[in-house]
Amino acid sequence: MQDFEDFVALRSQALLRTAYLLCGGDKGAAEDILQDVLMSMYGKWRRIRSSPEAYARAALANSAANRWRRRSRKPEAPLELGAVPTTRGHEQQVVDADSVVRALAQLPTKMRAVLVLRFFDDLSEAETARALGCGVGTVKSQTSRGLARLRELMGEQVLTWN
Amino acid sequence: MELKQAMEAATADLDVRPGFLGDVMTGGRRRHTRRLVTLTAVVALLAGAVAGGVLMRPSSPDDRASGIDPRLTAATAGNLSSSKDDVDRALAVWRTAQTSAFGEGITDFSMASHVYWIGTTDDGPAAVVVQPVRVTGSPDPKPLVGVVAMGRLVDREVVLDPSDERGRYDFGTAKGTQVVLSLGKRLFLSQDPVRGQDDRLTRQWRELAADASGVAVVSALPQSAPVFVRADSAPRPDDFTARPVRSKAETGQGRAFIPRTGLGWTLVNCKSESPQRTRSPVQAQEDLQRRALLDYLVSNDAAGTWEVCAWTPDGRFALAFEAFGRLYGALYTAEGTFSAGVVGGPAVKGTVAPVRLVLPDGQGTIVAEQGALIGPEQRETVWLAPAGTTEVTVVRDGTPTVVPLP
Repeated sequence: MQDFEDFVALRSQALLRTAYLLCGGDKGAAEDILQDVLMSMYGKWRRIRSSPEAYARAALANSAANRWRRRSRKPEAPLELGAVPTTRGHEQQVVDADSVVRALAQLPTKMRAVLVLRFFDDLSEAETARALGCGVGTVKSQTSRGLARLRELMGEQVLTWN
Repeated sequence: MELKQAMEAATADLDVRPGFLGDVMTGGRRRHTRRLVTLTAVVALLAGAVAGGVLMRPSSPDDRASGIDPRLTAATAGNLSSSKDDVDRALAVWRTAQTSAFGEGITDFSMASHVYWIGTTDDGPAAVVVQPVRVTGSPDPKPLVGVVAMGRLVDREVVLDPSDERGRYDFGTAKGTQVVLSLGKRLFLSQDPVRGQDDRLTRQWRELAADASGVAVVSALPQSAPVFVRADSAPRPDDFTARPVRSKAETGQGRAFIPRTGLGWTLVNCKSESPQRTRSPVQAQEDLQRRALLDYLVSNDAAGTWEVCAWTPDGRFALAFEAFGRLYGALYTAEGTFSAGVVGGPAVKGTVAPVRLVLPDGQGTIVAEQGALIGPEQRETVWLAPAGTTEVTVVRDGTPTVVPLP
């Protein structure tokens, strides 16, 4: 299991970043679901060792969604969800990094997961669909709506994407 | 600012808590064992039901302890086995150490301990002690194996799965004394790897003489970069793919927080720069080890926690990382096939642009420093300087410095 141990040692930080965004900026929750996902991967390592990152990301997205589902009766704001700052008013669309997390936290879980996997983890539409267990069409529509919603929350022209 | 940049900026300072790796490994093992135990119990219940009867006789603690590890009932071995005083002293140290620190999921420490081996070492008498203990998540007792020496507990491990037993105890003394268990295999030790003109490493292996009980005592100082392997035959001198036997400290478990080694960066830009996410530093390290360019990464902190990637002019991509305080690189084709390995110079913390890794085939030089602006276009953190570039300007905290390139 040394390669599993190496994987955990080397990739935990990167996966924690994804988990943090998926959890809308709740670091404690992100560490919890990451630890839970990695522990569950231990027993499945032989089966998933060829693409452990893909497995981990899909599992993180599902865990984050389940966490939100469980808490849906008593919504909890991980960060202070006050008014999201918009542009600082000058040329290069400077954005307070935290405001991105705040804006993400206000999106529906699936929409947030789509944006994180597509734009932070650079998954293709097909890979994102596979990870979230939905169709490519859903990923496309969620991406489009998610970006539009982010624009509303953060101000027109604040964010660009390729 | 791009969405990706904003997300990366928002997560740049995140890192897992100290001890996270150990928690994952311990929890993963425990959960896996629990699942196997549940599965076995279900199968046993079904088998019993089919046979028409279920045996319901509670066993005594002694019954439960026996049979979980043959070492518990084996006669004490070692050249001090006939010395009752030494055996009693070892057991006393063991009991004192255990009662003051249960940990590792141990819930019951009441069953009898047994000295499996006791002998002399350069650091005085040492003993391998085994004791059945109860641990969370397992209905059956598990063997706790450890070594006591110099009046203290050197280390111990709960053996949840016999195939995962580490079986190596580093005394951490100036003499480099280690007790290594053969666990049914042959033991080999290699020290002082040699790097040739072609940058390839070689290691000579010698077999360790374990006694009939499978215990070997050896002296190996960390400066000699010792690697232990438990196998049926010795690895080849150019084989860097065997599984090393690691001490508990080398796995990162059970030790206090240690600051990041080497450059100490948390930098990762490969998500956006590599064509396949499968090209992780772990795979690059394995690719270099397969070619004898990188030594065994025995200790958990032998490699740095950063990686930088860059596309090369001929359409390949290069991944650079740090191990043993030295820079390494691997080049891959756009399809992800390994193309070439690079062994660079030392990675010196505190210097301006400590990463200056010359790529082969005239593909330029990777220049990197976390948080700096590099090159004529003031690229953030990483810049691939074109071949022939002799110097580069690096801006740190608003101060430009010109550094030469190799």
